[in-house]
Amino acid sequence: MSMPETAALVLGAMVAAYILAKILKVSTELSMLAAALVGAAVGGAGFPVRHIVEGAFTYLDICLIFITATLFMNLLKESGGVAFVIRRVLTRFHRRKALLFVMLALLLLIPGALTGAGSVTVLITGSLVATVLGYMNIPRARAAAIIFIIAGLSAAAPPVSLWAMLTAAGVNMPYVGFFLPLLVPCVLLALATIFILSRGAKPADLEAALRELPEAPPKMNWLKVAAPFALFFALILAGRMFPFGFPILGLPLMFAAAAVVTMLLSPVKIPFLDVAGRTVHQLLPLVGTLTCVGILVQIMTLTGARGLIAITVVTLPVTVVILTLFLTLPISEAVLMWGAAPVLGVPLVLLFNTINLNPIVALAGMSVIWPLGDAIPPTAIIGRLTVDTIGMKEPYGKFLKACLVPALLIILAGTLMVFFSKQLAFLTVL
Amino acid sequence: MTRKFVIIVLGAALAVFAGLDFYRSRHLREPVVAGPGVARVKTLGDYFSKVKGTVNDCNVYILEGAQPGGAVLVLGGTHPEEPATRLVSWILAENGILEQGRLFVVCSANRSASTVTRPSGAYPDSFSIPTTWGGQTFRMGDRWSNPLDQWPDPEVYIHYPTGQNLAYMDGRNLNRTWPGRPGGTLTEKTTHAFMELIRTEKIDFVIDLHEAELQYPVISTIVAHPKGQDLAAMASMVLSGEEFKIGVESSPEALRGLSHREIGDHSDAFTLLFEAPEPFLDATRGRTDAKLLLEGKDDFVVRAGKRGLLFETIDKNGWPIDVRVGRHTSTILTVLDLWTLDHPDRGVILKNVPRYAEVIEKGTGAFLKDPASAESKTIHYE
Amino acid sequence: MIVTILYYLLVAFVAFLVIRNLLKSREWQEEALYVVFLIPLLLRLLRLK
Repeated sequence: MSMPETAALVLGAMVAAYILAKILKVSTELSMLAAALVGAAVGGAGFPVRHIVEGAFTYLDICLIFITATLFMNLLKESGGVAFVIRRVLTRFHRRKALLFVMLALLLLIPGALTGAGSVTVLITGSLVATVLGYMNIPRARAAAIIFIIAGLSAAAPPVSLWAMLTAAGVNMPYVGFFLPLLVPCVLLALATIFILSRGAKPADLEAALRELPEAPPKMNWLKVAAPFALFFALILAGRMFPFGFPILGLPLMFAAAAVVTMLLSPVKIPFLDVAGRTVHQLLPLVGTLTCVGILVQIMTLTGARGLIAITVVTLPVTVVILTLFLTLPISEAVLMWGAAPVLGVPLVLLFNTINLNPIVALAGMSVIWPLGDAIPPTAIIGRLTVDTIGMKEPYGKFLKACLVPALLIILAGTLMVFFSKQLAFLTVL
Repeated sequence: MTRKFVIIVLGAALAVFAGLDFYRSRHLREPVVAGPGVARVKTLGDYFSKVKGTVNDCNVYILEGAQPGGAVLVLGGTHPEEPATRLVSWILAENGILEQGRLFVVCSANRSASTVTRPSGAYPDSFSIPTTWGGQTFRMGDRWSNPLDQWPDPEVYIHYPTGQNLAYMDGRNLNRTWPGRPGGTLTEKTTHAFMELIRTEKIDFVIDLHEAELQYPVISTIVAHPKGQDLAAMASMVLSGEEFKIGVESSPEALRGLSHREIGDHSDAFTLLFEAPEPFLDATRGRTDAKLLLEGKDDFVVRAGKRGLLFETIDKNGWPIDVRVGRHTSTILTVLDLWTLDHPDRGVILKNVPRYAEVIEKGTGAFLKDPASAESKTIHYE
Repeated sequence: MIVTILYYLLVAFVAFLVIRNLLKSREWQEEALYVVFLIPLLLRLLRLK
């Protein structure tokens, strides 16, 4: 059997193993692991212990970013800081709907932008924002759609955008110049989403909303909320301003430092070990996915299945590739989650680079579209998480329907960014 | 409880076997039999004490001619995942005889990077070159220093001294950290140590050996600092006329941290960087194993070539290791000849190193020496 | 050097949390996933990879 035939056979066996595992109600993460093990066996590599474990290392540093960032956010929530901010924003802006929407969109964007995970947005600010939206007479399905879509955009937003980081790393491209190409569409689309889906909203019933929102501890204040963020940004800035005099800390340690400050300034006693244990439990589907995706990608590379996908994608007509991004990106996300970036993103960026598109803007455009796949089965992790977190009782289909209009807008914006990436290259200054 | 126990035992078994494998490949000993041309062997730490005793305190093989002349430094293993570069330096250290000048040969410029393979890259942990005495095994290595030796990475790597922002992992890339920094990371200290070597030994020029994926525009070429542009152009002309096609490119000023830019900017020396094609590195490659690494044959890369996506041609014969090694040895010999012709008082005349055709005819292994039949004092480990 | 040590401590802490959760877990898929995630943490702590 020739190498391309073997690679095709391996890929087929991997897909079959994945589907079978899903039918047997195995989680997406372990289904990917099963697909990897079957792929290795069919590809003639047997049970390649070294490759399996080496693959598990691929996203170790990113997992550490995830864990420390989410721990920081969870500690902030436990300290009453998040409730404090939501209550203050609501009290200050409840009469001015438009301003309130802008503030809520920003509150949803920050956690995911800092951590790279939409789930963190859903868990940290999602339920609180949903409460506010509920008091503004916005149906549950639409509130869920607002939170899901903006959570996805927050994950794509800078400074930490995993799809862009993983793809850039795969093509040896610096993760530099992405700040504005990611920030501008994410902020604009988040605002568009909240305004479109909040049509017909009434001004919030302040008293009722404040009654339902968790109380903030009396001693909580803006300084205590802002201090850990200030430290985090100060550490980032110090690294940039004094790169040769300041030690390299890395994002995990910066988030850990912010978490420590949150603990120290908290007006209430926080059961640290419990919160940390819960954080790891809460993140298990995500770090588990990243670990298993690493293994899957390693085995796909070992057996040639990754090369088969890459060569198939880069030899398709370019127009077809760009016009079908709206399908291929969300579907690959639904199946592989972030694994879509190294498997599909890398060959796409190589192709765009070859035809002289701007790879940074094009990749930013793709990164905006990718998170939409998080609402699509089989994984639908963020979609399901959103619906559960805000306690939506209606069928899942109703939530998907509510997502449709902003999703189309995001697809359009992302595709146009790819098409006109060269013209938008001026955005890559930061 | 039993189920949990079984899961933990399975996980532990996986960790133990993989851990042992990682340990073995990280500590695989690679002997170099210093040839008759090697006058002495120093280590990089002799030039900069902060590197002494670290994983990157690599051997520097010094070949000396009877006649005084110039000095040239050859770097193999800047990126150990480009194996032809290390094999060429082995050939030089084990076979080269100098008639004039001094030749400094480094087989593992970033030794740390030679002790690790890339997660998700599915690299083999080692590869073997067949020889008449049974073959020699080498560590595979990666492009970047081992995270066990340099951790964590910054969120953005900022190049010293220009302040240019580069990808976070390039803080561990030896060819993005020139000219180095005495108080910097291990990789920066390593390039600083090489700069000290260059200054102390009055090196005239540096040859930095590389291999590249075919989808990368800088391939089958000599990249030269402006100070070495004429030499590179002449070598390209001679080689393209007599042995194989090789281009010449000028080191871009905007791209920082590379040897061909920074060495020339920060010392009296200049650098010529040689690139040979290595299909193993292509993102569209198929099955990833030692066979692809050494034979350089890949149907998917051929298909990408037919689609016009490559910057170098490839057919079913691929780019075997002997061709890649031969390109580098011939390019080195040609460059030294031309340099000596132009600078007779600073000449470097190297003999007993095979050219392109000879490496292809006899195979790389024919020029590797058997450590079992060598005197122990001539054996050095990389 | 100090920062690197802090990273090993961080990994040790995460590994401790993973083991703690693993021992508490009652669901085989969750247990398996904890074990898979634990392997790179332990091998990094042991400086094997």
